[in-house]
Amino acid sequence: MSRVVHVEDGVEAPLEMLPILAPERQAEILARQLEDIGYTREGDLAKRTEPDGTEVTIDLKKATVSVKLSAGANLEETLERQTRSYDDARDRNQVEDNLRDQVIAELDERLKEKTEAMRRQVTAQLERKLGDLRAELDGAVGRATIDALTERAGQIGAIESVHGDEAGNVTIKVKL
Amino acid sequence: MSNDDDDEDDEEVIEIEADEPIEDQLVAASEADLLVMARTLLAPQTHDAWSTLCRTRKLPPMIGETCERILAATLAQTWVALWRRGGTQPRPALDGRRARAWQHEPAELEFSPTTMHLLRWLVATPLGAPASTLDRLAASPMTIGDQVLIYLALECASTTPAITGIARQPLVRACPLAWLGFAHLFEEAPPDKVDFDTLMHGPGAHVVDALGGEIARRWFQVELGKRAVTSPDALVALGAAQDGVLERFMAAADKRRRRDLAMFVLDAAQPSFARNIAPLPGQLDPSTSLSTRTRARIAAGSLLRAVERWGGWDNEHRGVRFIDDDYATAQIMLARFERISSAGVERAQLWLSELAALAPVAPPPAPTDATVIVP
Repeated sequence: MSRVVHVEDGVEAPLEMLPILAPERQAEILARQLEDIGYTREGDLAKRTEPDGTEVTIDLKKATVSVKLSAGANLEETLERQTRSYDDARDRNQVEDNLRDQVIAELDERLKEKTEAMRRQVTAQLERKLGDLRAELDGAVGRATIDALTERAGQIGAIESVHGDEAGNVTIKVKL
Repeated sequence: MSNDDDDEDDEEVIEIEADEPIEDQLVAASEADLLVMARTLLAPQTHDAWSTLCRTRKLPPMIGETCERILAATLAQTWVALWRRGGTQPRPALDGRRARAWQHEPAELEFSPTTMHLLRWLVATPLGAPASTLDRLAASPMTIGDQVLIYLALECASTTPAITGIARQPLVRACPLAWLGFAHLFEEAPPDKVDFDTLMHGPGAHVVDALGGEIARRWFQVELGKRAVTSPDALVALGAAQDGVLERFMAAADKRRRRDLAMFVLDAAQPSFARNIAPLPGQLDPSTSLSTRTRARIAAGSLLRAVERWGGWDNEHRGVRFIDDDYATAQIMLARFERISSAGVERAQLWLSELAALAPVAPPPAPTDATVIVP
């Protein structure tokens, strides 16, 4: 028996971005940061496909990120079963039908197990990526926030200096 | 006490009949079981709840006049039973009066035939048997008194295996007070026919006020339990029930200008904030898909979302001016919100974002004495 299977797993999460400027402008700033780390802009979406097939899509308008990984395969499974019938031809047909049903059910079960194993593999692969991805996106969002703050500060007055420390704190001096 | 002789006699009879042992010669054995059941619900500490629930007896279709009188006297003690559960602390009412629950002079509780159906079902049903084998207790129109009895039945059975069988009955699932107190038992959002508006005025509001502390403690215990849940599906089901109850109850409270009745939300969340015990499930089954686990974690934030909603209300209360009609009420709300404050709302938002995060960090271990925290 052979069956083409497709398994998929994914998560969607919000991006924590402070509302500093108008949403459209913030989306632009975030998109710029994302493009710097390899994302391609497609309208309101920024997308990147990892070498292992993981698709990362960021909705700039809604400020959400969705990560998806899928896999497909043509699973094949064979099974041999024997039985004996001592009666007439009619009974042989009955026995054959029963045996065929049993074999199909067992094959079906085996393919389900294989599909589930594939799904678990996809999940594990995706799970391994999420930690790094979160750190990378937190960094991009952080830089976009600083850019937004700087732009906002520029709207208030003349920026005298922008100073950032290792902890990620930023001090912007503005002359009003 | 009345000067009228007849009235005096009646009161004496009621007092004796409500508190003293039920003599076999006064009522039939089946009626005695019915009365013991009613007393067990109202005062579970005086009876062995599990043995009362397990005892089964086939009941005749009618009860005698004596039994009826004793039952009425027993049910007349319902307010007292509720106040014993936490209504004794003086609290400020919306009119500004600081008083104990009974000083707010609640209206008399009414009981309909539904109470009798419930008591008869509790006596006639072998509650020790598997839940799926129990006779069905059909839904029927219910008064606030009936709702209280259903709530007390759940509370009485809460530490016994009978709780599952009782909670799955249509009558129980149609009871708003049951949903409010025991949302964690239902595993789905409340159906549309469950009308939380009945708890927003008259005796219904007094009942919620009296049970508020108890309900808060129970919600807090459920919140603690979320950290140990391993099945994502169970957490999703719990979240659906809790979100449904909190959204609809708070909407009804808002509409009826009785936001104070939703104060239990803050009381339930406050101990978690004080001890930094986030409801982050730490051991969700790793063999399940990431999408399922993400849904489960988001579902675990029901109470936090309600705290966030309370934060919105608090902002509105801060905007009420001295010359506005609702000023006094807003001040009471502000004072009672103080124990959570904006810091608590920020904490709730932080935990919610962690629950929804791409790669949530493992929750810190809860303090070892977390189980003895009382709100």
